[in-house]
Amino acid sequence: MPGGLLIALVAVPHVFISHFAVGGGFFLVATEARARKQNDPALLAYCKRHSKFFALLTLVFGAITGVGIWFTIGLVSPEATATLIHAFVWGWAIEWVFFFIEIAAAIIYYKTWDSLPARDHQIVGWIYFVAAWISLFIINGIITFQLSPGRWVQTQNFWDGIFNPTFWPSLVARTAICAVLAGVFGYITLPKTEVREKVSRLAAQWIVAGSVVLPLALRWYMADLPKDSRAYLDGTLIGVQHALRGGVMSALLAVIIALVFGWWKPRWMRGPVVAVLVVLAFGMMGSAEYLREFLRKPWAVTQVVYANDLMASEIESVKAKGFANTAKFPLTSDTASTSYGEDLFEMQCESCHSARGYRSMARRADGWDPEFAADILQHLSAMHGTMPPFAGNEVDRKALGGYLAGLNPPWQFTITDANRAEIGGKVFGSRCGHCHSINGKFRPLRGVFEKQTANQVKDMFPVLGTMSPNMPNFNAPDDQADALAFYIAQEANRPLPPSSNSQQMPIGNTKSQMTMPARPGQRGPQETRSWFAGAEEVR
Amino acid sequence: MQTIPIPQVNPLPLPGPVWLFTALLLLVFTLHLVAMNSAVGGGVWALWNYLRGRHGGHEYSRRLAGELAGMLPVFLAFTVTLGVAALLFLQVLYGNFFYASSIVIGALWLAVIPLVIVAYYGYYFFSDQVSKGTGIAGCALAISVCVLLAVGFIYVNNLTLMQNPGSWLGMYRAHPNGWNLNLGDHTVFPRYLHMVNGAIAVFSGILAVLGLRKMKTDEGYGRWIMQRSAVVFAACTGLQFLFGMWMLLAIPREIVLALLREPLAGAVFGVALITAIAAMLLILLGSMAPRPAPMVQAGFGASLLTVFMMVCLRYLLRIEYLRPYADLSALAVKPQVGVIVLFLLLFVGGLVTVGYMLWLVARSGKAAVGTAPRTAGASLRS
Repeated sequence: MPGGLLIALVAVPHVFISHFAVGGGFFLVATEARARKQNDPALLAYCKRHSKFFALLTLVFGAITGVGIWFTIGLVSPEATATLIHAFVWGWAIEWVFFFIEIAAAIIYYKTWDSLPARDHQIVGWIYFVAAWISLFIINGIITFQLSPGRWVQTQNFWDGIFNPTFWPSLVARTAICAVLAGVFGYITLPKTEVREKVSRLAAQWIVAGSVVLPLALRWYMADLPKDSRAYLDGTLIGVQHALRGGVMSALLAVIIALVFGWWKPRWMRGPVVAVLVVLAFGMMGSAEYLREFLRKPWAVTQVVYANDLMASEIESVKAKGFANTAKFPLTSDTASTSYGEDLFEMQCESCHSARGYRSMARRADGWDPEFAADILQHLSAMHGTMPPFAGNEVDRKALGGYLAGLNPPWQFTITDANRAEIGGKVFGSRCGHCHSINGKFRPLRGVFEKQTANQVKDMFPVLGTMSPNMPNFNAPDDQADALAFYIAQEANRPLPPSSNSQQMPIGNTKSQMTMPARPGQRGPQETRSWFAGAEEVR
Repeated sequence: MQTIPIPQVNPLPLPGPVWLFTALLLLVFTLHLVAMNSAVGGGVWALWNYLRGRHGGHEYSRRLAGELAGMLPVFLAFTVTLGVAALLFLQVLYGNFFYASSIVIGALWLAVIPLVIVAYYGYYFFSDQVSKGTGIAGCALAISVCVLLAVGFIYVNNLTLMQNPGSWLGMYRAHPNGWNLNLGDHTVFPRYLHMVNGAIAVFSGILAVLGLRKMKTDEGYGRWIMQRSAVVFAACTGLQFLFGMWMLLAIPREIVLALLREPLAGAVFGVALITAIAAMLLILLGSMAPRPAPMVQAGFGASLLTVFMMVCLRYLLRIEYLRPYADLSALAVKPQVGVIVLFLLLFVGGLVTVGYMLWLVARSGKAAVGTAPRTAGASLRS
């Protein structure tokens, strides 16, 4: 299983619960204070019941999955983990102090409803919340550091790393999410007593309050993102766009449910509606975490460690010496081994890709021959901006290229007039679509090939490798070259609808993924230059 | 010169002196062990007494199981919390070894997370159901104890494997998916038995002290707890010598000799033997004395000192194992002095805060004996 997916499976549920652990603590102690002020025993009874649910969920599932994140990142990205440990061990240690207080306070709060005086019980509750929020404060510093290390890259100063450019907006956004989740989880223990409506409206208030702050904080966050990350949000990656829309839609629907079912008609707030609300909140959280992780690509720690756990500082050395000679465990140094290419795949690719599964390389490398695969490995960082550079020498590239090309049987086509465009589209997806679209938003080729015939297009193929240092040589069989030239000429000369609004960047190899039209006005000299400018447009 | 591929040390300098990280590691790991011993040893004690007390006639057993039930989830919570800190400081000093061995047994290592969640919920379930005396409560407890014993076995495998880099590659090649155990290392079983048996011993020592406290309010019940736990403590401590001997014989001879040639290790080992024997005699003889408190408390103190000494010896043994591959004194160090001071201040502040909350709880307990206070849940009952 690719490492990123493994981390997500552990981290997203944890983050979902841990934000509830912060917001829910505030919700509990604030509701307890309200119940006492209004002398409302039914509301107090709700607090007691909710605190049991809260403790069982956060102390067990929340806390243990938090440890689970340590376990998984240590397996998937040991170098990145070591970097975070070396840079911030005292931050983690401080966070641990507050975690310790938090756990002790949660246990005492939950167990002493019937033994502590009211005032003391609330003091313990407030201690819990403050400790939990400070925990969030510190972890937020380290997580945002991964995306935007800011001045730390020069100074390596602890405080520069913690108070990095996205620290404050992220902290506000996360605090808002805590409030939203406090409200959402507040419905799970909704009582059937006379305070049902009161609790329902109270929980709705928390959701709405958090949801008002959240978009403002996210706008602030996006404004402070590194330039490269903002480019992903601007529409160059389809997955990011889907996650963004999914997250926003989930949050909006959750707010609507809170207003309609929670505030306006609390008696409608039944089990299935609560379940939908929880699922939407989970969707919002999952989208946010996906985006946060993806916006950092190709880095695990920006400017320091790549997503495949290679240190930026070691890339040139590895390229010069070869991976086997600088290899870490568990790679053998036997470059002649038939499994060497697969070893390299495990070491450099498997943190994000599987051979045949999640982010399948078999699908992405369909149609590659060993020579092209070895060649294109030199240009990884020119792809979508999300790929780390390949770290290795020519022997390494050939070994990994051979492995990637061997994931699929070689293509064999009988090309006819009827299927020429379709096969051309497949070839485009295999050889060009990783870095270009024709009429799409990302490095469109229309500006280059518009008004050219298929023969004129084909004439350019032999010199592609010399046009830019980021272009691989073209070596497809002649019949595929014919089909590709036909396809490019056809697509580049296809009239565009005047109101077309492309947001998609092709990555796969089906025709439907490559024919999204570009937005009028986005074509022109600038985009033509971008074809030659390699990664500059996106990076 | 070793030729085994060892992951490089992260190029960032250590943000504090090695001695400080070592001291913190030894401190929090000792505390983690005491909590873990309570969670595992307490689970074994609770299971035994729950089964014994279920069918009547063993009122004390039933009562003890009921009292332990409420404590077990708390013990497990602090086992995890203190374990996180130990894991943190271990990663600072030996991260490159620890990550590599974790990768080799990756699947089992990840299984620790769901296993601990199962054990944790099992303890909560038992705590909730213990008063009903149902079979399902006993099953939940038994499952939790077994699962925690399995988790301990995975830990022993990982932490023995991290100090044997020569085994990594072969095991990884055999099962790259991480379904590996370090059973080729002959120290795994004696070390595991030493840990589990030690857990029962240490918690028996804790129970003996708890028995002393109970004697103040219920002489018969308290003395019953104290005397039973003292016998188990002495028996398990005696067994520890056998398991310890087995482990010493299983460790490669050159490593044992190198370890014992170190004056510090020899001294630590000697003190550990003396304190272990002292603890065994003091608790056993104290439990039979008319005034057991001084001897039992002294014996318990000696047992805690033994745990700390064994933690130190374990650390020194790791240094010997990794001597060909790691030299901590050669690591680059650039202390983050301000942050270290902040941590130490907050650490003390954290202890004070937790102490303050426990004081609130203790104060309310005392007040409850006298007058009836207005408790947090008081209005619930009105």
